[in-house]
Amino acid sequence: MLRYNFKYELRLLLRSRWIQILSLILLVLFGFSTFNGIEKVEKRKNDILTAKQQVKESDAAMLKLLDSVERGLEVSASPWTIPTNPMNVGNHHPRVAAMEPQPMAFVSTGQADLFTHYIKPTVSGDDFALNFTEMTSPVQLLFGSFDLAFVIVYLLPLLIIAFTYNVLSAEKEQGSLRLLASQPISIRKWVFQKLILRFFWLSVLVILSLLVVFFLIGVEPLEWTSTLSLLGLTICYMLFWFALAFLVNLFVGSSAKNAVSLIMLWVIFVLLAPSVLNQLGNTLYPMPSRTLMINEMREHKAEVTKRQDEILDNFLRDHPEYAINDTTQSRNFYHSYMASQKVVKEALEPIVSSYELQLHKQQEWSKKLQWLSPAIVAQESLNQLAGTSTADYEDYRDQVIGFAETWREHLMAYLYNNKPFGQQDYSSLPNFQFSYASNTTMGVSALVLLLVAGALLVFGFAVQGKSQKRGLLSN
Amino acid sequence: MITKTFYKESKELWRDGRVRITFTIVVLLLGIAVWISARQYQNINEQHQIAQKAEREVWDNQGEKNPHSAAHYGTYAFKPKYPLSLVDQGVDKYVGTSIFLEAHKRNEAQFSAAADQTGLSRFGDLTPDFILLFIIPLLIILLGYNSFTKEREMGTLTLLKSQGIVPWKWALGKWTALFFPVLVITTLLFLITGIVLSNLKDFGVFHWGSLFSLFLVYIGYYIIFINIVLFISLKASKSGIALVLSLSVWILACLAAPKAASNIAETKYPYPTRQEFASNVLKDKQNGLDGHNPWSKESKMLEQEVLAEYGVDSIHKLPFNFDAYRMQKGEEHEAEIYFKHYNYLKEQYSKQSNLYQSLAIVSPYLPTRFLSMAIARTDYTAHWDFSDAAEDYRIATQKFLNTNFAENSSYGEWGYKADADFWEKLPDFDYTPPELNAILSTNASSLYILGAWIAISFGLFLITTKTI
Repeated sequence: MLRYNFKYELRLLLRSRWIQILSLILLVLFGFSTFNGIEKVEKRKNDILTAKQQVKESDAAMLKLLDSVERGLEVSASPWTIPTNPMNVGNHHPRVAAMEPQPMAFVSTGQADLFTHYIKPTVSGDDFALNFTEMTSPVQLLFGSFDLAFVIVYLLPLLIIAFTYNVLSAEKEQGSLRLLASQPISIRKWVFQKLILRFFWLSVLVILSLLVVFFLIGVEPLEWTSTLSLLGLTICYMLFWFALAFLVNLFVGSSAKNAVSLIMLWVIFVLLAPSVLNQLGNTLYPMPSRTLMINEMREHKAEVTKRQDEILDNFLRDHPEYAINDTTQSRNFYHSYMASQKVVKEALEPIVSSYELQLHKQQEWSKKLQWLSPAIVAQESLNQLAGTSTADYEDYRDQVIGFAETWREHLMAYLYNNKPFGQQDYSSLPNFQFSYASNTTMGVSALVLLLVAGALLVFGFAVQGKSQKRGLLSN
Repeated sequence: MITKTFYKESKELWRDGRVRITFTIVVLLLGIAVWISARQYQNINEQHQIAQKAEREVWDNQGEKNPHSAAHYGTYAFKPKYPLSLVDQGVDKYVGTSIFLEAHKRNEAQFSAAADQTGLSRFGDLTPDFILLFIIPLLIILLGYNSFTKEREMGTLTLLKSQGIVPWKWALGKWTALFFPVLVITTLLFLITGIVLSNLKDFGVFHWGSLFSLFLVYIGYYIIFINIVLFISLKASKSGIALVLSLSVWILACLAAPKAASNIAETKYPYPTRQEFASNVLKDKQNGLDGHNPWSKESKMLEQEVLAEYGVDSIHKLPFNFDAYRMQKGEEHEAEIYFKHYNYLKEQYSKQSNLYQSLAIVSPYLPTRFLSMAIARTDYTAHWDFSDAAEDYRIATQKFLNTNFAENSSYGEWGYKADADFWEKLPDFDYTPPELNAILSTNASSLYILGAWIAISFGLFLITTKTI
C-alpha cells in the first residue's frame, strides 16, 4: 500500500504543480534571505578589516614618531599625543577588539544588528560606559531582518500549513473518502502515510534548494558539520509542524476549519508565546533603571574627584611595585586620574554586575521556558549556530572588558614607573583575540523537537484509534 | 437590503462559537497589553523624574569650580516617555533614553532597553500596537474569509440571485457586518486608553485629539484589510483557497515586506559603524580649531582677528579672558562638525524612509506603522527631535559657562573658580515634543498613501461585486 501511495502522491503533487511551485518559492525565499545574510556578514568583515588597517597605519606613524623623539629630533605633533607617554599610546593608539563572524553567521542576524562587532577600548575610558550597541536606524531593529532564520522559523511552517491543511478534508469534500474507506487501510494510517510522504518531498525540496542557494551565492567557507546541523534542525522543526498538521487533519473537520486551527497554532507558537514569555521575564526579573544608575555613577565620580590626592596615596601604598623602580617620583594628572578611575570602577562594580545578574536570570528563564514554543527553540539554536545569540554578545562584552583591563594594566606599569614608552616596547603590546564559547545546545534542541513531534504522532494514532469506532463517514 | 444583510451576518458571526472565542481572546490580550504598558509607562516616568531631579542637584551643588571643569563634568538630558506610547511603543525600545551633555562632544543617547534584554525580545512585545497591527487584521481574515465563498459552497447564492438582490447593496451589508465588530474592539481599546491616560498623574502632553487621529489611522488600516479580504472572498472559488490567499496577503504585508524593506534600506543607504562615525568626527576635529590648543594655526589666526577687532596688540589687554573666548569658538566649531555628521545620518535615514514609503505600495502595514509611531511620538523622528533639542541645550550650556569664564577672569588664569551659587543660574532643560498638526504635516505622504490604499481597495471591491 505504501508503494502505491508513494507513486500516486508523487504523481498528484507533480500534476497539481505543488512541487514546482514549492521549489520556486523555496528557492526565492532561501536565495533572498541568504543573499541578505551574506551581505551583512561581508559588511561586518570589511568594517573590521578597515579598522585593523587604520590601526596598522597609525601604528606605523606612531613608531616613526617614537623614532624621531628617541633620536632627539623636533616633532610637530601636539604634546598630548606624543607616544613616549604611555597614556597617549593607551588613548590614541588603542587596539581593535573585534568579534569576527562565525562561518554560519549569515544564517541568522540574531542580535548582530543591535551590537557592535569591534571596539577600541582606551586606558582612560570607563568600562561600564563602553557602548556596545551599534549605530543602526531603530526602524531597522524594529522590523528585523529577512534572514534565513526568519524563513525557517516563520515562513516554512506557513508553507507546511498550506501544503497539508486539507489532506483528509479535501477527500471528504470531494466525496472520494468513501472510496478510500473501502480500501484495505485504516484512515489514520493513510493520512499518516500521505503526510509522511509530503514531509519527505518537502524535506528533499528544502535540502536541495538550500544547497543550490549556498552553491549559487557562494557561501564560503561552507562547513559541512554546521550545514548538516542546520539541515537537521530544520527537518526536525518541519516534522513538528507536520505532526501538528496530522493531528488537526484527524480531529478537525472541514478544510477551512483545519486551516484556521493551524493558523491559530502558528500565531500562538510563533507570535504570542515568545512575546508573552519575554514580557513575563521582564516583569519577573526587571532590569534596574539605567537612569538611576547614571545618578549613582555621577555621585561616586563627584566624590572621587574631591579626594583625588588621598586616593593616589592609597593606591601607591597598595601597589608598591609600581613606584619601586621610579627614581623621579614625579606625579602628574594621569597618576591621580588613573588611580581614582580604579576607585570609581570598584565602587560601581556591584551596580554594573546587577545588570548582568538580571540579564542572566532572564536568560535562564527563557532557556527553561523556550520548550513551550518550538519557534523559540529553533530561533535560539539558529542564533547559536550563527554566533549571534545574546550569550555570544555577552561573552564578547566580558572578553573586551577583560582586555581593556589588560591594556590598562600594561600601560599603567609604565606610567607609575615613570618609564617612557619606546619603540622596543611596541611588540609587547597586548592584542585581543575573541574566542567563541562552544556551549551549543543545538543537538539537544533538535532531539527535543524530534521527540515532541514523535509524541504528537503517537498521540494521534492512539486517540484516533479510540474514536474510530464512531466511524469516519458517519457525519 | 444593507441593514438586513448586516443583521443576518452579524447574528451568524455571533452564533459561531469559534468567532466568540477568538473575539474574547483578542479582547483579553488587548486588556493585558494595555495593563502592562500602563504599568511600564508609569514606572519609567517616575524613574525619569527622580533621575532628572537628582542630576540637577548634582549640578547645582558642584561648589566652587572652574566653569570649564564643570563643562567637562557635564550633565544629563533624560528622554521622557510620552502618553501615547501606551498605544504604540514604536522604536522606543531600540533608542537610548539618556544623553550625556559635555564639553567638546555630542554624545548619542545611551542605554536602549533592547540591549538589556534577551534574544526573546526580538520576537516582539505583547503591546497594544502588536495587537492592533498584527492580530486584528488576522481577526478580520478569520471573520471574513468565507463571507462570499460560503454562499457559493452552500448553494445559497443561486437562491439569493433568484430573489433579485442588488449585488453592491448585499456586498455592502456584508462589509458593514465585518466592519462593526472591528470598530467595537478598536473603539473600546482607545476609550479605555484615553480614560487610563487621563487618570494617570503627570500625564504630560496627552491630548484626546492625538488619540482620535491614531484611532482614525487604525480604522483606515482595518478598512483596507476588510476590502482585501472580501475582495478575495468574492474572487475565490473555495473557502480554503480564500483563506490561504488572504493569509498570504497578511504575511506579505505585515511580516515579509517590512523585513525585506529594512534589508534593502540598509544595503542601499548604510549607516557608518559607531567606530567609523567617531573616527570621521575626529578627523574633522583635527583639521579645525581646538579650544584647548593655543599653538595651532587656527588658534593663531583667531588671535590675530580678535586683536585687530579690538585694536590692541596683546591678548592680555583684551577686556575678557582670551582662553575662554577661544574655548567658546572651538566649541562652536565642534558643534558644527557634529551637526554635519549627524545630518549625514539623518539624510541616510530620510533616504531609507523614502524607500519604506515606496514599498508601501505592496504593504498597507508600512504607512500605518509609520503614522502610528509618529502620532504616538515614538518614531525615529521624535527621537531626533529630542536629541537635537538636547544638543541645542548643550551648546547653550557651553556658551553660558564659557561666557562666565571669559568675563570674570583674565588671560592665563586657569585657576579661576566660579562661585558656588553660579550653577543654579543655568536654565533647566525644557523640551516639548512637536504638536499634532506639525506631525501630521510632516507625515502627509504616509497619510496620502493610506488614503489611496483605502480608496483603491474599496473601489476594487465594489467593482468586483458586479460580477457576482
